[in-house]
Amino acid sequence: MKRLLLLWVIGWLLSLPAAQATDMPKARRGVFALTNARIITVTQGVIERGTLIIRNDRIVAIGTDVEIPPDAEIIDCTGLEIYPGFIDSGTYLGLVEIRSLPETRDYREQGDLTPHVDALTAVNPNSVLIPVNRVNGITTVLTEPEGGLLPGKAALINLFGYTPEQMHVGGVRLMVLDFPSKGRRGPWDRRKPEDIEKAFRQAMEKLNEVWDRAELYARIDSAYRANPEKNPRPLYVPALQALLPVLRGEMPLMIKVDLAPDILEAIQWVKKRGLKRVIFSGVAEGWRVADKIAEAGIPCLVGPILSLPTRESDRYDKAYANAGLLHAAGVKIAIRTGDAANVRNLPYHAGFAAVYGLGREAALRAITINPAEIFGVDDLIGSLEVGKKANLFVADGDPFEPKTQVRYVFIDGYLIPMDNRQLRLYQEFLHRQPGLELHPTTH
Amino acid sequence: MLRANLLACCLLLGLTCTVYAQQKGDLFIRNGTVLTVTNGTLPNTDILIRNGKIAAIGQHLEVPDGIEVIDATGLYVMPGIIDAHSHIAISNVNEATNPVTAEVSVGDVLNPYDIRIYRALAGGVTVSHVMHGSANVIGGQNETIKHRYGETDPDALRMEGAPRTIKFALGENPIRVHGRGHNVTPLSRMGVEFIIRDAFQKAQRYMEAWERYEQERKRNPRAVPPPYNERLEVLADILRGNILIHCHSYRADEILMLLRVLKDFGIRRVVFQHANEAFKVAPELAAFGAMVSVFADWWAYKFEVYYSTAYNAAILTRNGVITSINSDSPELNRHLYHEAAKAIKYGGLTEDEALALITINPARQLGIEDRVGSIEVGKDADLAIFSAHPLSIYAVCKKTIVDGIVRFDADRDPDDMRLRVDPERPVELAIRWGDHQHHQRCLEGVDLIAFLTQTLQSVQP
Amino acid sequence: MQLRRFFWTGLFLVALPYNVEAQQRPQQGATPDLRDVPVATRTYAITNARIVVAPGQEIPRGTVVLRNGLIEAVGPDVSVPTDAWVLEGDSLVVYAGFIDGLSHVGVPAPRRKENQEPARRRVENPGSPPPELAGLTPDRDVRTLLKADDPAIAKLRRIGFTMAHVVPRGRMLPGQGALIFLRGQTPEEMVYQGQVSLFAQLEPAQGVYPATDMAVLARFRQLYREATRRHQHATLYAANPQGLQPPAYDPVHAAFFPVLEGRLPVFFYVEEVLDIHRVLALHRQLNFPLRLAGLSGSFDALEQLKASNIPLFLTLDLPEAPRDTIRATQKLSDDSLAARHNTYLHVSSYQDVSAEIENLKARQAKERIKYYETAARMHAAGLRFGFSTRDADPDKILNNLRTMIKYGLPQEAALAALTIDAARLLGIDKAAGTIEAGKLANLVVTTGPLFEEKTRIRYVFVAGERFEIKEPARPSRRDEGEPMPARAEGTWSCTVDSPEGSIDTTLRITGQSGTLSSSAIPRELFLENLRLEADQLSFSVTTDTYGRVDARLTLRGDTAEGTIDVPGVGVLPIHCTRTSGPER
Repeated sequence: MKRLLLLWVIGWLLSLPAAQATDMPKARRGVFALTNARIITVTQGVIERGTLIIRNDRIVAIGTDVEIPPDAEIIDCTGLEIYPGFIDSGTYLGLVEIRSLPETRDYREQGDLTPHVDALTAVNPNSVLIPVNRVNGITTVLTEPEGGLLPGKAALINLFGYTPEQMHVGGVRLMVLDFPSKGRRGPWDRRKPEDIEKAFRQAMEKLNEVWDRAELYARIDSAYRANPEKNPRPLYVPALQALLPVLRGEMPLMIKVDLAPDILEAIQWVKKRGLKRVIFSGVAEGWRVADKIAEAGIPCLVGPILSLPTRESDRYDKAYANAGLLHAAGVKIAIRTGDAANVRNLPYHAGFAAVYGLGREAALRAITINPAEIFGVDDLIGSLEVGKKANLFVADGDPFEPKTQVRYVFIDGYLIPMDNRQLRLYQEFLHRQPGLELHPTTH
Repeated sequence: MLRANLLACCLLLGLTCTVYAQQKGDLFIRNGTVLTVTNGTLPNTDILIRNGKIAAIGQHLEVPDGIEVIDATGLYVMPGIIDAHSHIAISNVNEATNPVTAEVSVGDVLNPYDIRIYRALAGGVTVSHVMHGSANVIGGQNETIKHRYGETDPDALRMEGAPRTIKFALGENPIRVHGRGHNVTPLSRMGVEFIIRDAFQKAQRYMEAWERYEQERKRNPRAVPPPYNERLEVLADILRGNILIHCHSYRADEILMLLRVLKDFGIRRVVFQHANEAFKVAPELAAFGAMVSVFADWWAYKFEVYYSTAYNAAILTRNGVITSINSDSPELNRHLYHEAAKAIKYGGLTEDEALALITINPARQLGIEDRVGSIEVGKDADLAIFSAHPLSIYAVCKKTIVDGIVRFDADRDPDDMRLRVDPERPVELAIRWGDHQHHQRCLEGVDLIAFLTQTLQSVQP
Repeated sequence: MQLRRFFWTGLFLVALPYNVEAQQRPQQGATPDLRDVPVATRTYAITNARIVVAPGQEIPRGTVVLRNGLIEAVGPDVSVPTDAWVLEGDSLVVYAGFIDGLSHVGVPAPRRKENQEPARRRVENPGSPPPELAGLTPDRDVRTLLKADDPAIAKLRRIGFTMAHVVPRGRMLPGQGALIFLRGQTPEEMVYQGQVSLFAQLEPAQGVYPATDMAVLARFRQLYREATRRHQHATLYAANPQGLQPPAYDPVHAAFFPVLEGRLPVFFYVEEVLDIHRVLALHRQLNFPLRLAGLSGSFDALEQLKASNIPLFLTLDLPEAPRDTIRATQKLSDDSLAARHNTYLHVSSYQDVSAEIENLKARQAKERIKYYETAARMHAAGLRFGFSTRDADPDKILNNLRTMIKYGLPQEAALAALTIDAARLLGIDKAAGTIEAGKLANLVVTTGPLFEEKTRIRYVFVAGERFEIKEPARPSRRDEGEPMPARAEGTWSCTVDSPEGSIDTTLRITGQSGTLSSSAIPRELFLENLRLEADQLSFSVTTDTYGRVDARLTLRGDTAEGTIDVPGVGVLPIHCTRTSGPER
């Protein structure tokens, strides 16, 4: 039985498109007909034994009664399921290769106030991490800078492309604000409660000072734009310049905030500053103030879900349950892993959220259509609909289940080789040659 | 004389440890799907627990009078999960001041109040191998504990009779802490090998000196004993085969190095921990009889785990190496059942093989397989009851049983399960974990030294 | 409580400036200094007082005569000698002087001399540091460290303490303790008996072996067993040196010889319950004469303490509630808070959050009550104990005793623990602990029953010397003069706390620049963004692995405390004392 399974696995591996060619596997575009599939559209229900047609970068047809174009390459999906590509709403993918090696880390810039820097610039399209993660059906991620108060701009990227521009989805950039916290920063943080409070106040003062000046700068800039002849040109201040689109509502502000008291402060602050396009990220204790978040109408990128509770007195499963409790209170949520090397576990973060109260349906939306809507790209990705980008994958079962295998991944219409270094190491070392016998040349 | 005294002391210690008699329970688990791990899956099966041991397994068993019955209809019963690599329930992790600190033991600093024990129980984990950190080439001794959460005597955690084990560590960590941090050997993997050989050589000399003394004492009552050395005593016990080595390692070359060293000193049992590149030398590991405990999918957090693969467990298993999946993390240990399931995805292990990765295999690696790790009559009644098959994402652990006592109950436990409370800190202070809570793990406690090291190095040209 | 233990090093440093300040500040509105007025007689008679001879044993109206430092007579019909200074004891109560079972009174924390840089704390190999750095100075005698002008002496005396078992400050094995009188112009006058204990604590060294509790335990085992061997060697050699190598001299091991011979007990200071278990386990392994002090967490180890049957000295410190932000619960007593605790609370959504917070406060109050009840439970369990003032604020000690009594400790037991039981456990019950003729003239004279809130202590006699206790002058407002501007210049010796031990770091600041170095590393690093705003000192260093590391310190005179924020690692406390500069 075991042997049979093994043979099956090896057989399957050999049948992979990646392994078919003897030379380097490459992604390719064209016309594909995925037939006889169970199609989980997310927005328009489930289609049993349906067909989905991809032409170039787009989905051009979905249904049970679809004519297969003569030029289509047919992929028989009998017994398989098609899902929209999963979206991870918070990662460092592309910005880091090996976390302990500073030479390979690009998510943190010098200083507290660097809103002018841009994560997209530093995305490495050839990171070994990217293929390892996308073969699990994650097609799109938000990749973020971190560190300091205003670490820079996050970018929404597809996990395929040879330049950052090819990867960039819908031009989405978000200004990141790491909101000051009244919490401990880890078990190591042994500051006295008074000192924590004091540090919070100081950080808030700084944030308010920055925002006051940014607003002033925006007024000067607006006046200049309205009448460049008469009004003086604003000074060259890159940090304040970078905040202009946020103040003008052209770019969303993504506030990283986790603890209940911080979230309340952040809601007040957003209201006071009159900011319209705001997203919360992290939101570990969101459930404690879920009504306030819902009332403020701020969407939340929740996670990592596989995380410890924030307080020792919390029930053990609070981090798992958080997303469900937020959803139940009417907060719009998406799910994030906060990871780089293991963004591939996004479906399991969603799965844990699902089983601990969010439910399967809502969990699926939290990694597909919800983030697409939150980022304003639901016309492009997030569901299987005619006219949307062909970001999707085909699996042999429920993608939340670890045993499920992903068979095909399409990103921006490209059929992605199901290949990566981890798989290649498997193929090479499952039955190593030479095995135990010494190599003749060593004797 | 002295050594006789010491022996007496040790015996006394052993005795006093067992003085704190463990609580053992009686239970009847009715009509569950029983995943025995060693004997397949038994549908609609009852389990009778008497005095903390599994007394009977079968269908339609008779329910003894007065026994507490758990109705497991529709539920899955599996052996309590065993985490072969953990740092919970201890006050210190690393004595990072010397490349060899065999004499220290995390068993001396057990902390039964640690809430992380309860949280591990909530993921079905009943036994943890609590380890010294990886700062030193030969670190301290480890302790195998049972999650008897609720007991406040540290001795109550010890799994009585579990073999002694010790932590070794190869590669980047000891090099970073000692070579780069303290300007002492090792500064490379060559130095790491030397540190181990050097320690074993000294232990041999030490044993010889004491043997000479014991001989001389018989004919000369005025014989003076040689210097006593707690560290060399422990190393000598490793050479005698009384202490099992659990070695933090990553790269294939360093794994082979240790195999050669152990062969030279006649040491036969070793378990490699993490061993992200063990798959590359699976045939050698199998031939030696070495065992390996790995992560399901962690990689790329440092250079020596860059060339990793999530298929590690599957390759090792297929090459005949006894393999387990561990956590090394107070977060990950709460869902080891889920980590094991990944071995089905990455390499196609069967369900029983996947379950073995977190039950009978780690039990073998800790030398406690006759006591725990499977559901068999006569074994300790350490069980976890799940709402669905534990390898499914939809499984929720409902109850966890240690020695026949329910130590975790999802339906009955209150939220606040702390055993003690700081009487002075504000109750609302929370931790903001952010995205990097898995950051350091094994090197806990030496970060600061490392930080200072790197701080100073960063200003050099 | 783990946290509390952790803070000890820190508190020690932080407490420093205040003591120093108190020492230097002229006494404000206090009694005139009468120390230069000659004494007319050393004989005293307290007449017509209620005399509590021993707990539960009273003379309702009697006289005590003291002469030459001893109690000469006590009883209802004792005649007053003509050379006596008579104190009319009507309405006064006389108790035996209190005995402190363990503290550092008279041993002020060493202040590093200005401009005298301590030898660079760098060690070649942190795995085998010199004994002083490892905290191994068991050969040090506390008598050589006594300071008669330590203000802590008067503070403790004014609440009735007359004798104390004092031990050196330090880490794992700081040295040997002595019994002292809480009086005297010179250290010699203070000493009652030397070499009464070997003091030990689970206090790791800074960045060198043993840097963790587990290594301290291993080090202790190693020392004890090797000392056993050396003792055997020394004994053999003393009997007949012929053919034997002479035993090597080593003060660290030699300090254990009297312990091995059963002549000297080891006094371990242990606070939280885990440390109690750890030291008891060590005791079971090595079987040495042991005394325990501290013990605030002992309510969770009563059975084990009972089984071990060793003398105990309970701390007189008790926990206090955190400052409450919600006014409704602010006024509630711990009892009424605790009564609200619901042990089975479930929090299923945001709606339950406020109930949860209230419940957590109730649980915390319950926990505090455990500390209040500890003395009573120890008494009920039949444990005999004295008290230790080491971690207690002297101004709170009498109040804490009242709390212990409120929570079940019989008054007589409290008095016994302060007097005769402490004397017995310290082996001086023939000389102290009760008001009996022939014993030391250590007395506490009060205006009423000792543990009543309105009772005041009027006189304290220490070895026959009389101290009149005046009501403390209302602490006058701190002089609101111009605060000295804080200065950062100088050399700062800093300690960074991590759970696995503390790390020594030295900061050198001159003008606008500075350097950082550490015991672990030979070379120095330049400070960036060095800034001083009011008393806030901040700087950063850029590191390869962690990016920018920020430090923030609040300066107070020659001490500074604050945090160092290592991204991805955590925010670690840092405490500094200035060891040299700035020029004044």
